[in-house]
Amino acid sequence: MNGFVRRFAVCIILLAGVFTIGAAPGDPPIRIGSTLALTGPLASTALVHKLTGEIYVEGLNRRGGLLGRQVEWIVKDDQSKPELARTLYEQLITVDKVDLLLGPYATGAILSAMGVAQRYNKLLVHHTFGIPSLAKYDAQFPTWSLGPDPATTFPNTVLDALASTPKPPKTIAIVTSKFPSVHFMSLGAREIARKRGLQEILFLEWEFGNRDFGAIAARIKDANPDFLWVGAIGLEGNQLLDALKKIDYTPRYHFYMYPAPGPMAQAPEAKNALAGTIFEQDPPFTDNPSAAEFSKIFNERATKAGLPYSRVETQAAASYTAWQVLEAAVTATKSLDDKVLAEWLRTHRVDTIQGKLRFDGPSNYGDDLMRVKQVQNGRWVTVWPKAFAAPGATLATP
Amino acid sequence: MFCLSVPAKFNRDLAAILFAGALLATIPFTGLPPFYESFLYLVFLWTVLATSWNILSGYSGYFSFGHGAFFGAGMYTTAVLASRFDVPFLWTLPAAAGVAVVLGAALGAAVFRVRGIRGELFALVTLAFTFVVGTIVLNTPIDGGPGVYLSGVAVPKIGPSGVSAFFYMGLALALGTVLAAFGIFHSKFGSGLFAIHDDEDVAEVMGVPTLGYKIAAFSVSCSLAGAAGGIHALFLSYVTAGDTFSIVVPLTVVLMSVLGGKRFWAGPAVGAAVITALLYAFTAGDHAVAGKAVFGAVLIAVILFMPQGVLGWFFRRRRPLAKAAQGVVELPPMAYSQKRSDRAVTSEPILIARGVRKAFRGVHALDGVDIEIRRGEILGLLGPNGSGKSTFINLVSGHFPPDAGEMLFDGRDLARCKAHRIARGGIARTYQIPRPFAGLMVRENVAMAAMFGSANLSRGAAMREAQRWLDFTGLTPKANTYPDDLNLHQRKFLELARALATSPQLVLLDEVLSGLTPTEINEAVDLIRAIRDHGTTVVFVEHVMRAVIALTDRIVVLNHGLVIAEGVAADVMARPEVVTAYLGSGHA
Amino acid sequence: MALPNFALLAQSILSGIFTGALYGLLGLGLSLSWGMLRQINLAHFALAFLGAYLCYQLSTVNGMDPLATMLVIVPCFFAIGVALQWIFARFRISAFNSLLVTFGLTVIVESVIQSVWTADFRRLASGYSDMKFRVGVLYVPVPELLTLMLSLTLSFAIWAALRYTDLGRAMRASAEDAPIAAAFGVNQKGLALLLSGVCAALAGVAGVCIALSYTLAPAQIYTWIGVVFAVVMLGGLGRALGPLIAGILIGVSESVTMAVTAPSWAPLVSFSLLIVVLLVRPGKV
Repeated sequence: MNGFVRRFAVCIILLAGVFTIGAAPGDPPIRIGSTLALTGPLASTALVHKLTGEIYVEGLNRRGGLLGRQVEWIVKDDQSKPELARTLYEQLITVDKVDLLLGPYATGAILSAMGVAQRYNKLLVHHTFGIPSLAKYDAQFPTWSLGPDPATTFPNTVLDALASTPKPPKTIAIVTSKFPSVHFMSLGAREIARKRGLQEILFLEWEFGNRDFGAIAARIKDANPDFLWVGAIGLEGNQLLDALKKIDYTPRYHFYMYPAPGPMAQAPEAKNALAGTIFEQDPPFTDNPSAAEFSKIFNERATKAGLPYSRVETQAAASYTAWQVLEAAVTATKSLDDKVLAEWLRTHRVDTIQGKLRFDGPSNYGDDLMRVKQVQNGRWVTVWPKAFAAPGATLATP
Repeated sequence: MFCLSVPAKFNRDLAAILFAGALLATIPFTGLPPFYESFLYLVFLWTVLATSWNILSGYSGYFSFGHGAFFGAGMYTTAVLASRFDVPFLWTLPAAAGVAVVLGAALGAAVFRVRGIRGELFALVTLAFTFVVGTIVLNTPIDGGPGVYLSGVAVPKIGPSGVSAFFYMGLALALGTVLAAFGIFHSKFGSGLFAIHDDEDVAEVMGVPTLGYKIAAFSVSCSLAGAAGGIHALFLSYVTAGDTFSIVVPLTVVLMSVLGGKRFWAGPAVGAAVITALLYAFTAGDHAVAGKAVFGAVLIAVILFMPQGVLGWFFRRRRPLAKAAQGVVELPPMAYSQKRSDRAVTSEPILIARGVRKAFRGVHALDGVDIEIRRGEILGLLGPNGSGKSTFINLVSGHFPPDAGEMLFDGRDLARCKAHRIARGGIARTYQIPRPFAGLMVRENVAMAAMFGSANLSRGAAMREAQRWLDFTGLTPKANTYPDDLNLHQRKFLELARALATSPQLVLLDEVLSGLTPTEINEAVDLIRAIRDHGTTVVFVEHVMRAVIALTDRIVVLNHGLVIAEGVAADVMARPEVVTAYLGSGHA
Repeated sequence: MALPNFALLAQSILSGIFTGALYGLLGLGLSLSWGMLRQINLAHFALAFLGAYLCYQLSTVNGMDPLATMLVIVPCFFAIGVALQWIFARFRISAFNSLLVTFGLTVIVESVIQSVWTADFRRLASGYSDMKFRVGVLYVPVPELLTLMLSLTLSFAIWAALRYTDLGRAMRASAEDAPIAAAFGVNQKGLALLLSGVCAALAGVAGVCIALSYTLAPAQIYTWIGVVFAVVMLGGLGRALGPLIAGILIGVSESVTMAVTAPSWAPLVSFSLLIVVLLVRPGKV
């Protein structure tokens, strides 16, 4: 019996230890809590958000912090799992008792966090949400500025860009992954292309996680479209381009929905690939002084951290914008009350490195601020609309 | 492997489960931050998944890699019904369980019938099934791509905080699952599953309805996973096909079961708690990557130092239960008082075999055999090696069906019966090379036969019956040890005890004397005679001639799959064709 | 469902063969250790990716030819495999426990990879990636061809070794019935160490092939587990040619489906086929 009691006690002590690891002591600084996918399949892009957050908080504290107090950012690892994100946000709110929340990385986790925020009436500013129609909580505020109906507005933007070239495309092939945030955009593109009179000569869907793009590439080559719209997320675009290269096919105009920025910019076969963006590290975006300064620091840190692509682009910018929005609301209202902050955001515009954001549309979405960028000489360059294009850059045509 | 069902222990364990459940139910009211309720919900969820997996895969040994399919099916049933058809959430849960059961039962019915699909092939089929279901979900309007959104679905109001509803639903399901696992463990159904785990063919021939039991275990397992999926759908509030229909869920539940201790019904629950807790211990952002490495290291350390899992380490046995004497066990004189019945050998047939044929890949093991077995006799079945004796026994006991011919027993043709029904009908057999259930103790081995044979006793009655036969064969000192601890003689007697515990009308003994010493043979002969005097007909395949002559009323001699002689032993053995068959033509 | 032209179909089948060959190569080491050593080695995948990353590192930073990196990787991984088996034997780890231990190892290796190379994507840009042959209407890219050749060669070599050499026969005997084999003088311990080393080396080679054709990220380790397990089980545990045949079967069936109809149905076709085959003829591929 003694041995039993002893072993039982050991177990209890170990379990207690596990629980105390998570808790953090209370402190005077303002604490902002969020999770990121620091490990797991989404980790590659979450790294950008971690760097951005760190840079922002340092700068913020140097400028005197928020409401005269230093700011502390508590970030936890949700391991790319939405169910973990959900419970960690609950932990942040009810155990760590943070003052403010910031959104996690990617649609799935943000939805989970949104549910929690809603239950505790906390404000949630988030930066990488891809499906506006699902954002139903009234105190959530997006900084990935897709606008309320991106499946209609964004394909129009892209096709406008292509229409401005000397030889606009007449036929279109749409190939897409079934990943939720990408799939509905591809379906929207299909609609818009039809409305604008392009002839759809191929439509394919593959399941997310597909490894073999050989057959799909062969079918694309067979169809030989003027414009290839690829509903790709992460590496899928590169995998497809790889497969196309192997059968000696280069698409004329090709567009990728949410490519992993580094690999797409640097692969030789991705020359002239198009994508969407809300910010690139070029004028006119970098005419904004805080954008320029952020870019410089980010370049240094990213290089030091070993990131292959160290320029600021959409992901980092969306993240930075989220912090800006939070800071603006707190500073303007001099309050940490979530209700007050939400009310202010709904009725005011915020100046950010993306531009002036408003949140008074459906689901708190404002304007569709997505521009079109292109891979030129190993880097992403904004090419459309002309007002936002990098100096001297135009949409390179084949 | 699985401990005896002692009533006091059963009640104590049951009380412990209910007490733990009641204790946990008070947690939402203790004022702890709601985060802990969410955390515990996840522990409950994985407890349900791991324990339900163990009911099929741990108990019966049919290793399933398909748990994700049923979990996902439940998730999507609830998601679609609640969000698209506005079915109130709690009503979707039985539907979720139902859909999962239908899928599982259908798959089980198709797959469990096929004899060759065991071991890793079963794992493969279930894994493939997962991918198939996932693809269907992803490509049809069930999901179609965008996922299913449940934010509009009302969460039932149970308990103080917003997340308490999940806590209580999770707790209720987890309690139900653990109680189910516990109950099955101590039931006749569970014993049957353990027998299937150790030796499915023997179990079937002994009377365990293996197909029915496997489908039942699979169905229970799937329904619980489906219900868990239903609850989880609402917890996530956004359901995508993504990671659900993959190897992740089954892999995780295997890890949890192994970590907690596969042998224990509470093992998976413990494993679920430990792994979920570990996952949360290392979520601090600063050292996320290092934290993951530590998580891996802890897993390795645990299993290296606790090879039987956490519960295995906890319940380390200090001494073997039975203080058995080492070495050769002197069997006490038979405790069973012989019922010297005056039952003379009748000429009434108990089994008539006509024109029985069986071929294996072109080799005719039996080539049209006519044998009549009379009630109350001891019939010797003789012949040189390869003459078809064991095949005949296998056919009569139902190991496999004959290619042609009929075997009439009690008015039924055995050729058309499934093995476990033949056992229920009152036919038992022993194996030439003993095949006891290695994971069950000696007593349990015999009790199994009493439970599933023609006696068809309840578990408690079977244990008592088992004691009787252990006394009869003199195995009582070894009753609480495992078959591995027995010597050949004792194992043969275990085979006998097992066969007799089914209360058979006809028992088939396959070379039960081979490998025994002369003294042991004498004891066995006395035993067999006592069996017949008790009223059981005995068919007796043997090579030991003095036993044949001493025991048998008649003998039948087979050669090359045909009957070549029949009659009284001394007579038949002198016939030239029989001598030729055994020794070759030079000796006639 | 449009019937594709011949070139498209042929190219798709070829693509399926290449993918299947890699499944087979990955599955070979796993199948051998599972079938013969009774260990379910999840860490096989982590090792393969470690090999891939090492190949990337040696090629990109040290300028080695990717194929030449095998000269470094194979011996190192052989040693790792031997060490692993030594630990398994020392602690007498059973089949199920090996699953847990190797899962822990996988997580550790993944963390190591992530801390050294970050979670960001790494792509090996080698001279081979642009090379290809034309055979009639078919394009045969060199990296995939190399993978196919390595897979074929190694599978057949091991099959032949197991069948025709004394060492191979001793290994098969040991796997079937260790005590009896030992009674005949087979050094079971030594053979186990050797086999484990070979399996780890195979993982390393598979890693080099992955590096040649795919972009790397630490979490990718897990995406291969499901399909390779299916390939291993279908091919029969411990059979050298099994994974290769099963892999090609699955790869081609998926690829043909993608050529002929909506690609998202591909897994349904390949795995339904698998289930039907098993129901009709279990135990034999």
